[in-house]
Amino acid sequence: MELATQIITYGVLMGFVFAFIALGLSLIFGVMNIVNFAHGEFLMVGMYVALLTSTYLPLDPLVSLPIAAAIGFVLGVFSYRFLITHILRGPMVAQLFGTFGLMLFLRYLVMFIFGPDVRTLSHGVLVGKNISLGWISLDASKVMAAGLCLLLFAFVYWMIYRTKLGRALRATSLDAEAARYMGIDTERMNGFAWGIGGATVGIAGGLLAHFYYITPTIGMLFVLIAFATVALGGFGSISGAFLAGIIVGLIQGVGGHYLSELKFTFIYIAYFLTVVFRPRGLFGW
Amino acid sequence: MRSKWLMTWIICLTLAVAMGSPATAAAEEVKIGFILPLSGALAPTGKALREGAELAADIINNKYPDLGISIAQWEGIPNLGGAKIKLVFADSRGEPAWGADQAKRLIRDEKVIGVSGCYQSSVTKTASVEAERAGLPFINPDSTSPALSKRGFKWFWRVTPHETWFTADLFNFLDGLTQGKAPGVKAIPKAKLKKLAVAAENTEWGAAALKTIEEFAAQRGYEIVEAFKYPHKAADLTSEARRLMASGADVYLFAPYLADAILFIKTLKELGAAPTLVWGQDAGFVEPDFAKTLGAAANGILTRDLFSPQLADVIAVSGQINTIYRSRAGYDFHGSSARNFVGIQVWAHVLNEAKSTDPKAIAEALNKLHIPSKELIMPWKGVKFGEPFPGDTQQNELGSGVINQLQGFPGGKYQVIYPFEFATADLIYPFPGWK
Repeated sequence: MELATQIITYGVLMGFVFAFIALGLSLIFGVMNIVNFAHGEFLMVGMYVALLTSTYLPLDPLVSLPIAAAIGFVLGVFSYRFLITHILRGPMVAQLFGTFGLMLFLRYLVMFIFGPDVRTLSHGVLVGKNISLGWISLDASKVMAAGLCLLLFAFVYWMIYRTKLGRALRATSLDAEAARYMGIDTERMNGFAWGIGGATVGIAGGLLAHFYYITPTIGMLFVLIAFATVALGGFGSISGAFLAGIIVGLIQGVGGHYLSELKFTFIYIAYFLTVVFRPRGLFGW
Repeated sequence: MRSKWLMTWIICLTLAVAMGSPATAAAEEVKIGFILPLSGALAPTGKALREGAELAADIINNKYPDLGISIAQWEGIPNLGGAKIKLVFADSRGEPAWGADQAKRLIRDEKVIGVSGCYQSSVTKTASVEAERAGLPFINPDSTSPALSKRGFKWFWRVTPHETWFTADLFNFLDGLTQGKAPGVKAIPKAKLKKLAVAAENTEWGAAALKTIEEFAAQRGYEIVEAFKYPHKAADLTSEARRLMASGADVYLFAPYLADAILFIKTLKELGAAPTLVWGQDAGFVEPDFAKTLGAAANGILTRDLFSPQLADVIAVSGQINTIYRSRAGYDFHGSSARNFVGIQVWAHVLNEAKSTDPKAIAEALNKLHIPSKELIMPWKGVKFGEPFPGDTQQNELGSGVINQLQGFPGGKYQVIYPFEFATADLIYPFPGWK
């Protein structure tokens, strides 16, 4: 019973993290119908921001989160302004290869600067600490990461559904041309979607760095899970990404315990079944 | 006038002879293809292996008079007119299909005389098929899946001992603990070491390691209370770590690559696991980043290996060459990078014996090759290809493994514990734990 509780708890905690990683990907796709293959590399940049902040500045890696968010936002907006606006003029395949190229560029730029070495955070208020709840023991950094992901997810949800800016973003997402007629600066909204996407996944990277290893190639692993999460939840759906994140977290937690070898297979089976039987995902439009 | 003509002819003749002589051949290069995982999750490993191979090529091609092994005095391959070894590296990306493509490219476009690599057994398996098809020698320095040398290939030679040896070493070590042979530790009752839990990554290498451990455990009277395979590119290993802890095993055995090894140990530490012994099947546990990244959390971890810098105490040349390696790479040799050094050394010896770059001559020389122990940086009896275990073909039968323990953090070192007669420190027992 204790073991089952612990496995499910960890599954849900990791689910919150997966959902937050998938949020930006879903948002960008929802607004622009573009799949950002470089999303995982944005996450990797966030991890390196946490590493550099805690290594070279006398600061706790938690302090890196706003820095990672700011860098992620700028990276997203720059990617949109200097890459996406150009490749949008080309065919669909150019859009695919454009973000794929951005992925390779960021990955190998970081590898060039920092080398391929695997690193981890060596200190931090929560690094390596446990929280004991009587019958179960939880890794403090995972609990904190999941809690913050949940909180920030709720904040982004509120911003999109309850603010004027969010309404403009959703209007652009539903019908960009009509939104333009209504006076919405859709270019700005597109850039904003990329910025939010970059900022959220940058924070997710900063949080992951607390308990995960850091290497320039780490993005691919998480972006594949994020694709499965977004497809499961429905492309462009924020609430879908949330629910799918928890499902993916539980699948890999429970699968990891009983049939570890196949845990990713279970995730991709869920993805495959969704694509076959409900192509728009759980909540997609 | 006649004497002038005669002089001219003599000069021309001398030049012509000189151009055809071995001295001119010295300018030639012998190209050997080398496939390694130079990008992706295994890039740090690939980098260390490449540095090991490059150092061997450098020692073969240039004179190192202070080193007491023959290749250091050669300045090229003597019987090929001093021809230099040129390594042509290709990136496998850690993917079997891509590795095979690289082998084809090296053979077809780079015109290499043979191929080496590829670290991962799964990549070596596919890449060596291409060499077999092309009829070129494939010398594998470091892949340890036993199946590789049981395929009956004519063009595949393996220098490293395979998992069967290493697993035998593990159980000899455990038996030795119960017999009081370990340095600094009294005999441990078998009941305290009997229950084993095994976590192996799910490529061919990990699967083979798991299977061999299960076979040996059954033969030697140990009980496997938990055993599973897991994907080494895992986003989280908490469930797997909990599974090990829930098994109640005394000894945790791992067959991981680097990133998952780090993640496993970090997770077990966070969960406060307390096994009696932790042993890793080489690979991730011996990468420089493993101890560097985990620091004191790695104290007391045992790993099967083939090398330790501490071997300098018993093999002088091993210490000398490791010093050069460290000055260039920034870290010590580990079992895999040291074996890649030996892999290139084997190429040099065999080319010298074959006196030709013709594939058939090289194959013949490989089957007759005997490199004595004194030529090697490893604690081996030498290199000689034969059939050490039933079904093996063209497998080095003089290799062996060691079991090291990480000790003395900060600045932890791999101390040799097994073979007990080569121990460089007392065993830390029981494992200090992470509580």
